[in-house]
Amino acid sequence: MTRSPMLVARDLRKDYPMNGEVVHALRGASLTVEPGEFVAIVGPSGSGKSTLLQIVGGIDPPSGGSVELLGTRLETLNDRALTHLRLTRLGFVFQRFHLLPVLTARENVELPMAEAGLRGARRRERARQLLEYVGLGHREGHRATQLSGGEMQRVAIARALANRPAILLADEPTGELDAATGREILELFRRLNRDGTTLLVVTHDERLAAQAGRVVHMLDGRIAAETTAP
Amino acid sequence: MTLVVLQGTPPAASTTGIAVERAVAERLHLAVGDTVRLGATPDSLRRLAVVSAIYEPRPDPAEISRRSSRVRLHLPDLAVLLGAPDRVDRFGIGLVPGVSADSGVTVLNRSAFGFRAHPSAVIASESSQTFKVVSRFHRAIAVISIVASAVFLLCIMLLKVEERRMDAAVMRFVGVRRRTIFGALVLEAALIAILGSVLGAALAFLAGSATNAYYRRFFDTELVFSLITPRILWFSLALSLVLGIAAGAAAAWRLVRIRPMVLWGRA
Amino acid sequence: MTGLVWGLKSLGRHPLRTALSLAGIAVASAMLLDMVMLSGGIEKSFSELLLARGYQIRITPKGTLPFDTEGSIPRTSEVVRTIRAEPGVEAAGAVLGTAVYGRTRDSLVTLFGYGIQPEAQGIYQVTAGADLAPGDTLGILLSETAAGLLHTSIGDTVTLAGRLDPQIASASVDRRLVVRGLVRWIYDHRGQPSVGTVLPVMQRLGRDAAADPGSLLLVKAADDRAVDNLAERLRERFPALEVNSVAELVVQAKRRLVYFTQLAYVLGGMSLIVAVLLVATLLTITVNERLGEIATLRAIGVSRGTVVRQVLAEGVALTVLGSAGGILLGLATAEYLDAILTSFPGLPATFSFFVPRADTLSLAALVLLLTGSLAGIYPAWLASRAPIAATLRAEAT
Repeated sequence: MTRSPMLVARDLRKDYPMNGEVVHALRGASLTVEPGEFVAIVGPSGSGKSTLLQIVGGIDPPSGGSVELLGTRLETLNDRALTHLRLTRLGFVFQRFHLLPVLTARENVELPMAEAGLRGARRRERARQLLEYVGLGHREGHRATQLSGGEMQRVAIARALANRPAILLADEPTGELDAATGREILELFRRLNRDGTTLLVVTHDERLAAQAGRVVHMLDGRIAAETTAP
Repeated sequence: MTLVVLQGTPPAASTTGIAVERAVAERLHLAVGDTVRLGATPDSLRRLAVVSAIYEPRPDPAEISRRSSRVRLHLPDLAVLLGAPDRVDRFGIGLVPGVSADSGVTVLNRSAFGFRAHPSAVIASESSQTFKVVSRFHRAIAVISIVASAVFLLCIMLLKVEERRMDAAVMRFVGVRRRTIFGALVLEAALIAILGSVLGAALAFLAGSATNAYYRRFFDTELVFSLITPRILWFSLALSLVLGIAAGAAAAWRLVRIRPMVLWGRA
Repeated sequence: MTGLVWGLKSLGRHPLRTALSLAGIAVASAMLLDMVMLSGGIEKSFSELLLARGYQIRITPKGTLPFDTEGSIPRTSEVVRTIRAEPGVEAAGAVLGTAVYGRTRDSLVTLFGYGIQPEAQGIYQVTAGADLAPGDTLGILLSETAAGLLHTSIGDTVTLAGRLDPQIASASVDRRLVVRGLVRWIYDHRGQPSVGTVLPVMQRLGRDAAADPGSLLLVKAADDRAVDNLAERLRERFPALEVNSVAELVVQAKRRLVYFTQLAYVLGGMSLIVAVLLVATLLTITVNERLGEIATLRAIGVSRGTVVRQVLAEGVALTVLGSAGGILLGLATAEYLDAILTSFPGLPATFSFFVPRADTLSLAALVLLLTGSLAGIYPAWLASRAPIAATLRAEAT
């Protein structure tokens, strides 16, 4: 039995104003992601990679086209429903981590679970498990400001996994990290994918892209090519 | 005491005439020439008198809140009315030039019995105690307001300057000196302080005018309740300028002492 | 990890900023508390003063307030007898206030004399010794100050002089009296040298004993609920006299001190405005600084409601913590300001302008809490409306 695609994006367009001009960030991009895939989106700066990720993640509405995520058309959802979808079915990892500096590593991971209504003891236990998974069980009580860049990104990944997302979306996850730390994150993504998590990653990092099962090349707001790993 | 006659003439000594305060005349609908009855008690209103004059008393801050009703009679008429023909509450003594009030008081009190002499200046000082208390109260409120303003200023300046963290970091990266950044921030604080002071002075004038208008009407008086003198104005402007610049300087000093990488958020 | 906890923890992000804000809110709330105390203090203090001995009605010469003028009520004894016979009256007594003189070894000291009816008095409390018995024409009560001036104590004999004639340097009336007790005269100002005898003795020492004068009549109603009705009946019975219930006297006192009540409202209002501005400014700047963080949280599924709750919680927390310090500061400054205002000459020593009351404190606290909540509305709205994608784009550049 064939499984339905996780994500189907059709002919996406995105225009937005900037400094009095209109920027055409996407000019008709279409993308499909199957369950369990590891897809990397690469391309030069300004090619529309992050915009595509934000649209398929329900953060930014498209100017044209449609997105079907886990069988739901995103344009039919209001803001509250989109927020709930992001909370429960998606995980986001950003280039700049964006952890809450006043919270500890564990509290940062707990945040989406608390938002989803998970009770205190279960929430804390799962947060610990996730931190162990990303190799930071011994740092759960440290505040985000006391962690290194690589550690912060791992906490951010643990946070993204908090509510068992169907897809993990990552925007330049190694962009702020040195080479060695980047390799650690790369290994983590590989492990996640091996364990069954579907990944859609925007990256400049060739090593990260090389680990993906499929690479989507973007140029000037369009998908120029797709390559599949052997 | 000065007496301003609005209508008619002051009562002559040969008739039982009285002079009535303007506010009392309005309240009782009295006019010059009206006849009234006077008595020491409400059930002894036997004496007739004619309203010879209506006067506006000199505004006395000690009396405005009491809203007393006053009339003036010749002393002998009042003495007869009260049944105390040879009694007064107080009298004033004018000394010949060259005699000091203190020496006059000393001489009088040496043989005083049943009365006491005081220099007029002492009486004036004693009777102004109420206003001294009010002045002290106002000063205390002013001090509290200044302390509060200083705290607010420091807080706001800190917030304002901290908004410029990234700008300051970039300037340090490109080689701009600490003192240049400090000077720029203090100058900005000074400009805000100047504008704020002028705005505050304008608000104070408006508030003072409103206060005077309101209380003059409320107490039916010509007294001035709020007075902004040049001295008060310059003092306020100077103080707010000093506080504003000091607050800005403190916040700027704190900012320029932080390492650029820390300002940038990377350390 | 709820918005509330996140909001509270966010206060620790910039300790100096938070500390300054708390200091500012503390000062503003102290001022508000003081002004709330001032606005109600005059009324409460004056009521307590007047009701210290339970007499709810005062009768004075027409158009005057108690001891305001030298006017007097004639045939006082007859008036008191009539009042005592009135239905609903539990007690009635007369008081005469006049200047008298105490003889010391080498001089006369001026004293304020109260002529009282001890069986129905409401103007003093015995602090040492014994009270005067009704009809005790040989006894006298002294304030501490008077006792000091006359160099005398309980059991000693003092000589009072009255109706001085300066021309022949003599007193028409001299009276030797035994000090029965020391008292606190409720309406005396600080340091006032007051003495008290039974009414007929003080009338003789005063000017015109034949007229049986009194300065003030005190009336105690049997039923507190019937005070206004009784006052009205007495007004009709004695149209030549001024009849005031305590409530009416409080209104008149408030009218005389209206400036302070109005000042209290103005300064209190300004303090609130300043507190609102401070909290709103702080939160707005904080939200602007954290827009990237807020956009990320919205991106990962945190709802607008949680973001709003976080900002509001921060505002309320600032207000609550600042106000806690403000209440302590306010009580201290109230004592200082009260010490200034109660030095008004002629003000009863027991009178207070700043009266701390549970309902006052509760009102001030409630108003502050509401203020803190309202102050956070605009920044919370800003935070909830932060455009996620645009903000993330701006953060990336």
